[in-house]
Amino acid sequence: MPDAEPAVLDKTVLAELQATTGDDLAFVRELVETYLADVPIQLEGIADAIGADDAAALVRPAHTLKSSSATVGAMRLAGVARELEMTGRSGTLDAGGRDGLERARAEWRAASEVLQTWLAGNVSR
Amino acid sequence: MTATGKATGTALVVDDSSVNRLVLVRRLETLGLDVLQAENGMEALAVLGGKAGVVDVVLLDVLMPELDGYETLAAMKADEATLHIPVLIVSGVEDQDSVVRCIELGATDYLTKPINPSILAARINASLAAKRLHDLEQESLARQTALNRTIERQKEELSRFLSPQIAALVSSPEGELLLAGHRREITVAFCDLRGFTAFAEQADPETLFDVLAEYHRMMGEAITEHGGTLEHFAGDGVMIFFNDPILQDDHVERAVRMAVAMRARFAELSEAWRHHGYELGFGVGIAVGYATLGRIGFEGRHDYGAIGNVTILASRLSSQAKGGQILLSPRAQMMIEELVESESVGELTLKGLTRPVLASNVVALR
Repeated sequence: MPDAEPAVLDKTVLAELQATTGDDLAFVRELVETYLADVPIQLEGIADAIGADDAAALVRPAHTLKSSSATVGAMRLAGVARELEMTGRSGTLDAGGRDGLERARAEWRAASEVLQTWLAGNVSR
Repeated sequence: MTATGKATGTALVVDDSSVNRLVLVRRLETLGLDVLQAENGMEALAVLGGKAGVVDVVLLDVLMPELDGYETLAAMKADEATLHIPVLIVSGVEDQDSVVRCIELGATDYLTKPINPSILAARINASLAAKRLHDLEQESLARQTALNRTIERQKEELSRFLSPQIAALVSSPEGELLLAGHRREITVAFCDLRGFTAFAEQADPETLFDVLAEYHRMMGEAITEHGGTLEHFAGDGVMIFFNDPILQDDHVERAVRMAVAMRARFAELSEAWRHHGYELGFGVGIAVGYATLGRIGFEGRHDYGAIGNVTILASRLSSQAKGGQILLSPRAQMMIEELVESESVGELTLKGLTRPVLASNVVALR
């Protein structure tokens, strides 16, 4: 385990996205909303792969979840997704898979809550 | 990059993650590009199939459903239409192995997620520059090919009117110099038909043209075989010279061999004509001497011609030749006497020449 657990949401990531897109808050909001709509699809893919005990099928949804979570700054969820991707690549799911899915779901609940709060506090004018 | 610092071009973003696509599309639009999107390799190939000429750069994710990055890349590189479109692989920092594999498959470069805007701008500009260079090369190649085709067609067209040597000369680097005029020793062979004027008066136009066409074809073959330069056709009269524009050490011999070949073939032709009641004979005059050669004529109607006493002498000898005779000027006779069996026909008084000419007839080649 790392010394300091990353925050559920690294807010500097969204701030930087906003800064590098010409202070376009509407764009960052659209991105967050897209992310919030996208994660359940990836989680479903992960659950399907684990349910079917198909390690190879786990790689892609876990990979996508990892990279899109990192894009918005949901670093803890990105970390769990990364572990799931590694598990998928290892070729055997064993206990790590089901456990990882549960942790991903928990991180997802935490992340979506923080992101909803962020959305409420960053309304475009 | 244009003067305003904006890139211009069209990018295709291929990524199954809508979040990643959104960020990439936005960043590329900020750089000034038009952006097309695809959710997987299948969609990407479909977009490229319809708009291969439009897309200047492809940003390709590796892990995708339907058709992944490797397969998409391989398909692009296997297709002539998409082979030259730069492909930037978009991957995670941990996916260096896949990047290596993609570069081996022909990817131009890669970008790591999360996308750094400055690096993205640099990679995009490099890719667009490469693509533009390639497009320019293609355009220039296409123009060159079209130009070459036109030149070839013109040459072909020209060679129907001109002898092959002159058609080739016109398009050669030294052509202008030769066309401008030069002096050289040449052998001139002048051929015409005995009894042609009377035949032309009696024969109907179709017959006349048929006979001429047959005669010219036979002549043409013999001229080409011996490397002669056809100066002109004037009805039954044909003037050919040797040693110009292409130098030929054996120009006298070539002229004589050509004339002998023509005489033999003419004998067959005239046999057939005789059955139709046309009595035609073939006469040749051959002379050697210096002439001035080059472009003769006026704007819009030039010929490559030879001017000098040698052409007049050959023409006069030809008029004096009886059917089946090949008359040589004294110099021509001297230069090839060991190659031919000839007989003297005595001194001939030729029109326009002050002194009589001692001519000889070629009986056969030795």
